[in-house]
Amino acid sequence: MAIPISQMATVASYVLKKRLTGTKRYPLVLMLEPLFRCSLACAGCGKVQYPPHILKKQLTPEECFAAVDECGAPMVSIPGGEPLLHPQIVEIVNGLVARKKYVYLCTNALELKKRLPEFTPSKYLTFSVHLDGQREHHDFSVCREGGYDIAVAGIQEAVQRGFRVTTNATFFDGTDPNSVRAFFDEVMSMGVEGIVLSPGYSYDKAPDQNRFLGRARVRRLFRGILSNRKPTWKFNMSPLFLEFLMGDRNYECTPWGMPAYNIFGWQKPCYLLQEGYAESYKELLATTNWSEYGVASGNPKCANCMVSCGYETTAVIDGFGSVKGFLAMVRGNFSKYRDPHALKLLSESQPAQHGKLVQIDSPVLEETRA
Amino acid sequence: MTAEVQKYTLAQVEALELAPATEHENLEGWVPALASEDELRLALEKALDYRGDVTLTLKSGERIEAFIFNRQTGATLADSWVAYFTPKADDKRKVSYAEIARIEFTGKDRAAGKHWEDWVKKYNERKAAGETNIALAPDALE
Repeated sequence: MAIPISQMATVASYVLKKRLTGTKRYPLVLMLEPLFRCSLACAGCGKVQYPPHILKKQLTPEECFAAVDECGAPMVSIPGGEPLLHPQIVEIVNGLVARKKYVYLCTNALELKKRLPEFTPSKYLTFSVHLDGQREHHDFSVCREGGYDIAVAGIQEAVQRGFRVTTNATFFDGTDPNSVRAFFDEVMSMGVEGIVLSPGYSYDKAPDQNRFLGRARVRRLFRGILSNRKPTWKFNMSPLFLEFLMGDRNYECTPWGMPAYNIFGWQKPCYLLQEGYAESYKELLATTNWSEYGVASGNPKCANCMVSCGYETTAVIDGFGSVKGFLAMVRGNFSKYRDPHALKLLSESQPAQHGKLVQIDSPVLEETRA
Repeated sequence: MTAEVQKYTLAQVEALELAPATEHENLEGWVPALASEDELRLALEKALDYRGDVTLTLKSGERIEAFIFNRQTGATLADSWVAYFTPKADDKRKVSYAEIARIEFTGKDRAAGKHWEDWVKKYNERKAAGETNIALAPDALE
């Protein structure tokens, strides 16, 4: 189990309190995007394609704190853009930690090693380092040679300094499950607390429009990756969400569970779709027609989505909202998910190729891009 | 294992399951005709989705360079508005649909191009030329 007991207790009491008060819709994680500027240009990312004057804008610490205070979520994820490019990111993080929010600072880690002395280790602060696979895969994914080595150096330094560290990977079509499993071995040996993963979302603004996974392929891929787990692997995620990815559970999306706040406001309806903005979380809840989203709605933009920001909230609420769910979560934390059929999937796996790259001799290149 | 995962062969899954891609509309440089209310509403929906600046000409003659990020549509043009940032100011601004006379998609579409295949081709060319530390860089902030 990778998530500390204190964090689980905070989330559990928060969910139970919401249930007891009959609150139907509430946030679990605030996706706080203080800026869209990034130091990478990844092919699968649809978050950073804006004119320069938009990329230069950023939230002030006060705007960040007001959003966090208003929505009240116990956890805050800080993606972007690259948060370490924000000149006041330390002040923002310190303010959130002072509020006893569990903060996941998502970073590509290009600047992490240099910036670490500015931060203070805390049980409330986790560096979530974007790492999409083994060296060649990650470098090709983020379209930058040497990116993996820089990120790993940052991870090692952060671990050494006593910070909580997770890796965060997004997987797209063409991902080789065997390589991902080897990658899990690598990152756990670096001393990280756990692994975070998700299938990619088919952002309509992403440059690469040819490799997004449909739901059956997602289940097949994650069946291969997540079955027959090694005892050293730890996941900083709900085990029920991982079972959902493997095809063992059917969940509906909880689009209000991980709301996104950025320079434009509160994004409607979720972190992935961009159909307008509200001035407050309250307005977001009140003015969004939630029945139009999620797979059951028939909305084609949601048809292939199994992304954590929509479905992990459902899994967490399921896990902490009933005895049955809680027992399943406990069982999931200790299960190895033995499955002979999944081993067969691994042996059948044929990595896709876009063409042989010069720096990779063999085998052919697999893509695990974010 | 669920029946759903087991019922497909790999070949079937390969044939069935790849999420459809978005066809990017080439809107850069477009100046839509705004002869009717519907045309104006449609053009502003496209402007909302556009990842570049547009230039709005108001009925007063004022021209506004704007990145449109939000809108509210009402029953009439007067109670519909778009929200935008301009390159020259920090604050969010709004303008009523009823005030807009012309829309030009003047800014570069930041979501256009940059295909994966282009990256692979460029990478291979630069590698063959002996370059090292090859990378795609984000657009300059100008």
